Amino acid sequence: MSYPIRISPLAGAVAGLRPPLRTVHGMEIPERFPGEADRWQTAVGVCDLSAFVRAGVKGPGAEAWLTARNVPVPAEANSWTPAGTGLVARLARTEFLIEDGFGDATAARLPGALQPGEPGVYPVPRQDCALALTGIAVNELLVQTCNVDFASQPAAGRIVTLTQMVGVSVTVLRSDRGGVPCYRVWCDGTMGPYFWETLIGIAEELGGGPIGIANLFADAAT
Amino acid sequence: MNHPTRQRPVAAPEPGTGSSGPQLPPGRLPAVDGEWIDRSRSLDFTFEGRRFAGFRGDTPSSALWAAGVRVLGRSFKYHRPRGVLSMANHDVNTLMQFGPRLNLRADVEPLEAAMVLTSVNTHGGVEADRARLLGWFGGLLPVGFYYKAFHKPKALFPFWERLFRRISGLGKLEFDAPHVRTPKRYDFADVLVVGAGPSGIMAALTAARAGAKVVLVDENAGIGGSLGFQRGGSNQALERLRDLEAQLTAMPNVSVRPGTLAAGWYADHWVPLVDAQRMTKLRARAVVVAGGVYEQPAVFRNNDLPGVMLASAAQRLIYRYGVKPMDNAVVLTANADGYVAALDLLAQGIGVPAIVDLRPDGEASDLPTRAKQLGIQVLKGHCVFEAEGGDRLTAAVVCPIGADGKPHTSAPQRFACDGLLMSVGWAPAAPLLYQAGTRMSFDATVQQFVPRELPEGMFAAGRVNGVYCLESRLLDGERAGAEAARYLGLEASSRITARPAETTSPSHPWPIVEHASGKNFIDFDEDLQLRDFHNAAQEGFDNIELLKRFTTVGMGPSQGKHSNMNAIRILARIRGRTPGEVGTTTARPFFHPVPMSHLAGRGFSPHRETPMHARHADLNAVWMHAGIWLRPEYYAVAGKTRGELVREEAGAVRKGVGIIDVGTLGKMELFGPDAGEFLERVYTARFANLKTGMTRYAVMLDESGVVIDDGVVARLAPEHFYFTTTTTGAATVYRELQRLNAMWGLRIGIVNATGAFAAMNLAGPGSRAVLAGLTSLDLANAAFSYLAVRVGEVAGVPCRLMRVGFVGELGYEIHAPADQAVRVWDAIMASGAGVRPFGVEAQRLLRLEKGHIIVGQDTDGLTQPDQAGLAWAVKMEKPFFVGKRSVEIVRKGGPRQRLVGFELDATHTGHTGPVPKECHLVIRDNTIAGRVTSIAWSDSLQRHIGLAFIEPELAAEATPFFIRADGGVMVPARVVPTPFYDAASERQKLAD
Repeated sequence: MSYPIRISPLAGAVAGLRPPLRTVHGMEIPERFPGEADRWQTAVGVCDLSAFVRAGVKGPGAEAWLTARNVPVPAEANSWTPAGTGLVARLARTEFLIEDGFGDATAARLPGALQPGEPGVYPVPRQDCALALTGIAVNELLVQTCNVDFASQPAAGRIVTLTQMVGVSVTVLRSDRGGVPCYRVWCDGTMGPYFWETLIGIAEELGGGPIGIANLFADAAT
Repeated sequence: MNHPTRQRPVAAPEPGTGSSGPQLPPGRLPAVDGEWIDRSRSLDFTFEGRRFAGFRGDTPSSALWAAGVRVLGRSFKYHRPRGVLSMANHDVNTLMQFGPRLNLRADVEPLEAAMVLTSVNTHGGVEADRARLLGWFGGLLPVGFYYKAFHKPKALFPFWERLFRRISGLGKLEFDAPHVRTPKRYDFADVLVVGAGPSGIMAALTAARAGAKVVLVDENAGIGGSLGFQRGGSNQALERLRDLEAQLTAMPNVSVRPGTLAAGWYADHWVPLVDAQRMTKLRARAVVVAGGVYEQPAVFRNNDLPGVMLASAAQRLIYRYGVKPMDNAVVLTANADGYVAALDLLAQGIGVPAIVDLRPDGEASDLPTRAKQLGIQVLKGHCVFEAEGGDRLTAAVVCPIGADGKPHTSAPQRFACDGLLMSVGWAPAAPLLYQAGTRMSFDATVQQFVPRELPEGMFAAGRVNGVYCLESRLLDGERAGAEAARYLGLEASSRITARPAETTSPSHPWPIVEHASGKNFIDFDEDLQLRDFHNAAQEGFDNIELLKRFTTVGMGPSQGKHSNMNAIRILARIRGRTPGEVGTTTARPFFHPVPMSHLAGRGFSPHRETPMHARHADLNAVWMHAGIWLRPEYYAVAGKTRGELVREEAGAVRKGVGIIDVGTLGKMELFGPDAGEFLERVYTARFANLKTGMTRYAVMLDESGVVIDDGVVARLAPEHFYFTTTTTGAATVYRELQRLNAMWGLRIGIVNATGAFAAMNLAGPGSRAVLAGLTSLDLANAAFSYLAVRVGEVAGVPCRLMRVGFVGELGYEIHAPADQAVRVWDAIMASGAGVRPFGVEAQRLLRLEKGHIIVGQDTDGLTQPDQAGLAWAVKMEKPFFVGKRSVEIVRKGGPRQRLVGFELDATHTGHTGPVPKECHLVIRDNTIAGRVTSIAWSDSLQRHIGLAFIEPELAAEATPFFIRADGGVMVPARVVPTPFYDAASERQKLAD
């Protein structure tokens, strides 16, 4: 699938660090940062994953519409399920977030599949700042930024939490990687630069900092 | 468990530290089992310019007391010498300053190497404080005197104000103090146990054994509470504590946090935990309060002399810091604890000539016998009538006391001593219980307020629960821990199911001795004496709340921890009531002083940036906040002023083509078969009949008919609308729309797409030509008329384009997906047509020239649409819209104000004097007749123009009025019609 040239909401925020970039789904995001080696395994790393294509649908007919298109739908609100290399999150009873991984194009195709006037199904444009917060000290980052007890959520619970971090409305789910806690976080893209800079500041106090996508996804390693 | 009882430092010596010398200062005891100090680490410091040495683990007070210093501070009002009182975080007369750290609590703050300490609230140093002369005039300065003096004659008030500001206050604020980072954090626990004394530890162990995740906090630097310092001359209590510590260590699900204050209670069991580094907001599922009690002072003449201290203070000095508190001490008591303290003194070689027991029958246990066997004289039914001394205690005068509490002074006994311990009672550390809504009642058996009815999830144990015997406290802690565990659904059992009863009271009902010469202090914070309370009651302040406010009892830094109980007793006796009938005041959170840096914490100030933010920065944007957004106010150019640049930017739009980032506007998508009907209800205009491909201005009212938002609604398809809101209104409007449809149940879907779309307004007579080079859309007037909306590609990016005229020129508002919008912006800027970016200030000027309002600037929280000249946008023929009924009612009375255009008098063209500003008042016949909402210089019109709310009778065209500008200058103005510019609005409809 071909993608238009897209710009990450964090492009300006990371530009000063001059990281080598990698294009994912038409968007350039940092591949790696200087000095990031093992940052996430020893402390905490913050990674820009805004490049993954997302789509949203809501409305009373959304679940049936997604199911009819072979999109796996979580049974419960505020839960998620893997979908290929991506995921489907049920944000509320009738609202869904679909995000493609490296090898998927489900979210990319869905908006085109939704015909005007489709009863009870409405598109939700997603232009999120998407991050991964990971590392052995990630819980310390979370407790300094959010009043939700993520540590008590079971890793296998596939819980979706809608809350606020550092004053920003976020959607959070846990998706560990290689046995290391990893939280996926989405927020409005226009809040992205503030969100990124604030989290990076705290992460650096904890001995961590920004990491590139190659550090998390073998698919992105060059 | 992740903390030892007391963290012993193991690091290498820091600068300013050294090995302890072989000689101990005379006030330092040989090593005491369980002490908190590390004698291998000596710390040098200065106090009031003199050099001293202490040990790591000391506090400034303990190190100074060991060095023989007795005057550690001065009292607040009379500047009397004060020494150790509690050693329990309540010695508020010995606050010290260490550089920018002011009001350091010298009795508990850890001593640091190279500290340079001074006493606060002195004039000339703590030893030679000149303000001590105030004590001589004490009789002229009764409580509340300042309420009645100094306000007359009025001319002298500034003098008195400056004087009192200079002599009052504690500590010197340094404005260049370094910023201290104190990041807050959140934490979570099944059970929070407040207080790590015996009952708290047992509660924690019991809850943890049931499987709960437990956090155990104690404000002291070590855990154990009274087990560590109320030993009675033996180490049995210490061994008990060590056994409990070992049990805690074996429990991985207990987090023990000494040096941590639970400073308040908030709904849902949110409790702020304050330690040296930060504040942690902990949410517990259940809370056990085992915070113990505050020892209370006795009241007698000169009960504040250095050397007079609470018995527990002397015990803390001995067992925590290895300090000999005195050489000879009289012990004034009314409970068993005083006898235990006397035995502790004897065990350290301190002389105890007498135990003075207020109770006529004395102590019922075998403690008096043991004391007598050790050579101590026990005087039952006696009191300390007065203490003697200048800057330190030299003797205690003792006499019998009657059943009525009156001293019998005919045959006093005088005991030479340098120490006088007070052990006459306790008050519960119950602020958290009060804040949680616990119903407390006065239990005469223990002379204490105890919990009668606890809120859900709250539990109390130990002395705060009125339980004093050690074995009973352990059982009570076990009970509370088990109840907390069961509350969480865990299985737990305890050996008792109710609070154990006490047989004797640990607190005396009247530990107060009158003295004709006064200086018998109730509140050490504020130097309040017994007679002050009688005076207050005589003045009519005989309710505990009124008494508190008139006398200021309990309003000092200790917040009444040592004074409230005696104040209640005094008021109860004056009014012939019981303490229970008088009641208590509730300490608000935080009930104990907390550094401001902790409260501030790490600052989170969220802001939003549009996708073009970096482009604006490259263009030297000067930023301004618009709600939560950062927007370019204007674009800086070297050598030009703000005003020049704003006028240039506006001129570019009028004469050529400009572009402004309007991505901050709220943007909503509305879908569904009832979408038109929904808009009919939420906006004042008609939308059901809006044709696909067209836009319409929209005004939103609240139920009271007040204008709360405006925007443009575009119909993209029969069941699909896209509309904008004000920049600051997006989130509020979205929530309100969701709320409304939750009631109405229409078949719609609303999406807040504010962040998903970027937007820019390309405006000016040259805008069509610029856009034509970037899109295949037909831009001819016939195909894309004024107020039309089209969907098409611009620079290869799918966009929505609206022909709107906010700035009064031909213009296109282009909405693009956020992740591709920069491409559109770059393409426009690279068009070679000289497109000039303009900022918010230029836009404000341009729209003002057109007379277009900004909701929130040209309206306020009372503005009806008719007042703002928006009647044309209100379609009363509709059966319903939000606010319609209010508009109908208001129209019957007519508007109280009208928004009109005005221009400054022609003589002000080129005026160099003060120009009115927004919010300056409109004056007519020396009365306020309105206010300016917008004003600016218009280059296009060559005059100052503005909008103002004025009384309807002044709204007629050409009516003159004055605006009061800065400095009271009256500037003439007159009403003119709007739009000021292009009255026929031809330019925004500019032909091809």
